[in-house]
Amino acid sequence: MSQRVTFTVNGYERTVELEGWERLIDVLRETLSLTGTKRGCDDASCGACVVVIDGEAKKSCVYPAKKIDGKEVLTIEGMADGMTLHPIQQALIDSGAVQCGYCIPGIVMELYALFNKKPDASEEEVVDALSLHLCRCTGYEAILEGALLARERMAAASVK
Amino acid sequence: MKFKYVGKSIPRPDAVNKATGKVRFLDDIRIPGMLHAAFLRPEYAHAKILSIDTSGAETMPGVRKVVTGKDISFRYGDNIMDRIPLAINKVRYIGEPVAAVVAETLHQARQAVKKIKAEYEPLPVYVDARDALKEGAALIHEESGEFDHLPGLEPVAGTNIANRYVLEKGDVEKGFGEADVILEGEFNYPFGSCAALEPHGSVAWFHEDGSIETWSSSICPFIVREDLARVYGLPISKVRVHIPEVGGCFGYKSDVTIEQTVAYVASFVPGHPVKWVATRKEDLLSTLIGHGIRTIMKIGAKKDGTLTAMKTTLLHSTGAAVDTGIHVLIASTHNSTGAYEFPNCYLEGISVYTNTPPVGAYRGYGHQESQFATERMMDLLARKLEMDPFELREKNYLGPGKFTSLGEKLWKTNGDVKKCAGIVREIVFSKPKAVNEDDKYYYGRGFAALMKSPKGAPFSSKGCYLKFNVDGSVTINMGGAEVGQGLRTVVSQVAAEVLKIAPERISVYTEIDTQFSPWEWQTIGSMFTIQGGRAVIRAAEKAIDKLKGIASQALRVDVDMLEYGGDYIFLRSDPSVRVSVPDVARGYTYDDGVTIGEVVQTTADARLPRYSNPDKKGMGTMGVTYTFGAQACEIRIEKETGKIFIDHFVSCFDVGRVINPKQIRGQVAGGVMMAIGATLYEELKFKEDGKAVNPHFSKYGFPTIKEAPGKQTIEFVETPGEIGPFGARGIGEHPVIGVAPSILNAIYDATGIDFYDIPITEDKMKKALAEKKD
Repeated sequence: MSQRVTFTVNGYERTVELEGWERLIDVLRETLSLTGTKRGCDDASCGACVVVIDGEAKKSCVYPAKKIDGKEVLTIEGMADGMTLHPIQQALIDSGAVQCGYCIPGIVMELYALFNKKPDASEEEVVDALSLHLCRCTGYEAILEGALLARERMAAASVK
Repeated sequence: MKFKYVGKSIPRPDAVNKATGKVRFLDDIRIPGMLHAAFLRPEYAHAKILSIDTSGAETMPGVRKVVTGKDISFRYGDNIMDRIPLAINKVRYIGEPVAAVVAETLHQARQAVKKIKAEYEPLPVYVDARDALKEGAALIHEESGEFDHLPGLEPVAGTNIANRYVLEKGDVEKGFGEADVILEGEFNYPFGSCAALEPHGSVAWFHEDGSIETWSSSICPFIVREDLARVYGLPISKVRVHIPEVGGCFGYKSDVTIEQTVAYVASFVPGHPVKWVATRKEDLLSTLIGHGIRTIMKIGAKKDGTLTAMKTTLLHSTGAAVDTGIHVLIASTHNSTGAYEFPNCYLEGISVYTNTPPVGAYRGYGHQESQFATERMMDLLARKLEMDPFELREKNYLGPGKFTSLGEKLWKTNGDVKKCAGIVREIVFSKPKAVNEDDKYYYGRGFAALMKSPKGAPFSSKGCYLKFNVDGSVTINMGGAEVGQGLRTVVSQVAAEVLKIAPERISVYTEIDTQFSPWEWQTIGSMFTIQGGRAVIRAAEKAIDKLKGIASQALRVDVDMLEYGGDYIFLRSDPSVRVSVPDVARGYTYDDGVTIGEVVQTTADARLPRYSNPDKKGMGTMGVTYTFGAQACEIRIEKETGKIFIDHFVSCFDVGRVINPKQIRGQVAGGVMMAIGATLYEELKFKEDGKAVNPHFSKYGFPTIKEAPGKQTIEFVETPGEIGPFGARGIGEHPVIGVAPSILNAIYDATGIDFYDIPITEDKMKKALAEKKD
């Protein structure tokens, strides 16, 4: 049964045809060629596929695509403003959190949702959010450092 | 020596494009006309294939081809040719590809795979080397002994022994005769996965003109190229391999593995690129896994702690193909002496076929498995000798003038393990423990020293193409795979230092393409900085010579009167007589347009000095680029749950020269975390019938930020080496080596409980604490 959904991605309205089995990640990566969202596991446990849906960080690998109708999706491709990176992206770079880079898009989106809801999130809350993401390269210390640096910079500049 | 760019935390040149999600990983490749493959995996870990019925799959929507292994007439392998692209008459492990579907979409390919019907006749399954070695065990490869292999390997036909490596140094029996104390122990480092966040994958395309083009998330493009050319009877130049951005490797994307399978399948649909990317389950069961090494160790020592002899037997459950695992075990065997000099050794490593996924490289390349035993044994031996464990180690450390198990004499430039151990000891052990236990926790501290040899091949080299552009900027192209370790930054810093220009003016290659990239053996063994950095220096020096040569004509002076300064070449005695680098970068052009000299572009490569194959006693040279270090931890064990908290983990390595402080810290912090995973949480488990228990991240035990140490202290000693750029040595793998023994030594310190195998999960610790009470 084919089905049609209309939703916004990074501010642009998109309409796609579905067969019904697709998850949001399939639509983003295969239909819309937004390949910045990554696939790292098959049981929703690595966080590489996290995108922001109506302000909430969600794992796109388990999110049924048919439920996306009318929603607002933000992916890693929508984070930079022209040549200017989002402060979360810049902070993760500055802290040395970017090694292979595969986990970074999911982490950026997770932190974006967190800091938009709670600009003064505690370190414990930041760790809770980051614990939904696996990274093999960094040992997590540079990621935590980058997340806290982003929180600080965003608060200083009142960035959303 | 004063440096301008080396030793600074220069930002990674690839960080921005990674942070925006715009770099292209394997699964991001889209080619017009691309088809997708999916594989049928077996229901048994060892079985005869009675029949495969593909008819149901062939009529499914979008299906272009269904492929089985029945017509395969070749084998492959980098070390021993015991690999086949698809199962032929039997299956030998649970992740093996049995049949493939090629379809227009991945979804269609996966749906069609479900319609393939295969019938099997189960055979006896061996998950552990000890069972596969038993008298009368069924043979996993009936043809073993007939496979082509590298010189020096010794498969034992008619058994499941794929290779037996023996190293004899001195006279081991005499050594044990001289000992006052002899200690024996058995240790196990179970299966695990490198588990990079990016699953392994490949795209293969057989062009109608007879050439082959492939993409792989591999670190060995040139090996993949050579092996595909051999199999398909092409000149090597007709195979083109691309390496896009690689999302972590840690070992298992080395050698030739899945590339041959994807290529074989693609050969049935010529003209179409075919993509396959592993699911996580396939990444855990159908690529390469790690470890599976059991170490049985015997050490002899005099009363004063002088080591007299070591005998080790390593049993490796290497899986259904030992090709890539064979050298892991050889490295594990000759490095089982750890950071110590044993005058007499008998070190034996037996690679055994088992019905588990093939074992291959895993960050550390065998070192952490056998030195887990060595460093536990040093603590146990000190207890038996009633001696301070630091004193025992100190007495026996390798150092200048001492000989490794391979018989290789060490130089001062090989680094200083005593200094590393001293620094770590000072940080963790300088004060007595504040408290041994309280109501909630036991507290412990543990230590381990370590040594890592390189892993190369006699012909191993890394190439560099360096090109001066007409504005004086520089473009560098190499064949080393960037997997996150930060080699692009190292290349730009080393080149900047030699060329005396800012790293921002140096552009370092992104993707590798065998059509354009200089040859490199493979990016393994923590050797890129050492060898690649040296190749950069050699290419840069050649370029400076060329610039000077052209300038000498332009300025009409002898070349030895000139100095190179980055922006200008000038007369030493009068710097105002000069010519700019841009003015000579493409030759020098006179006012009338006549141009002299050549375009300034150079090539160079660098190999390890005198690296040799092992001789008949298993001895030889590893190119003398050992790295030494020491690690220690402070832990807390929750009495009620058995949960182990790493409050503080300390590492110190003699890396010769720190090129980039931020990057090297990231390497060590990540390596320590990875090995904490192996020590406390991770294990890839197989049931007796060879079926996987936990082939998903949710069950595998991959540690999160909540399992990270409370604090990591990371220190470096810089005793310059002879080979690497500005004295630098390798560091990529070393942080994993001392982690398990230091934690297990700390567990004993905290609780008086000795463990001999890992992981020490919460349940295992809780059980041991309960048993101790009883």
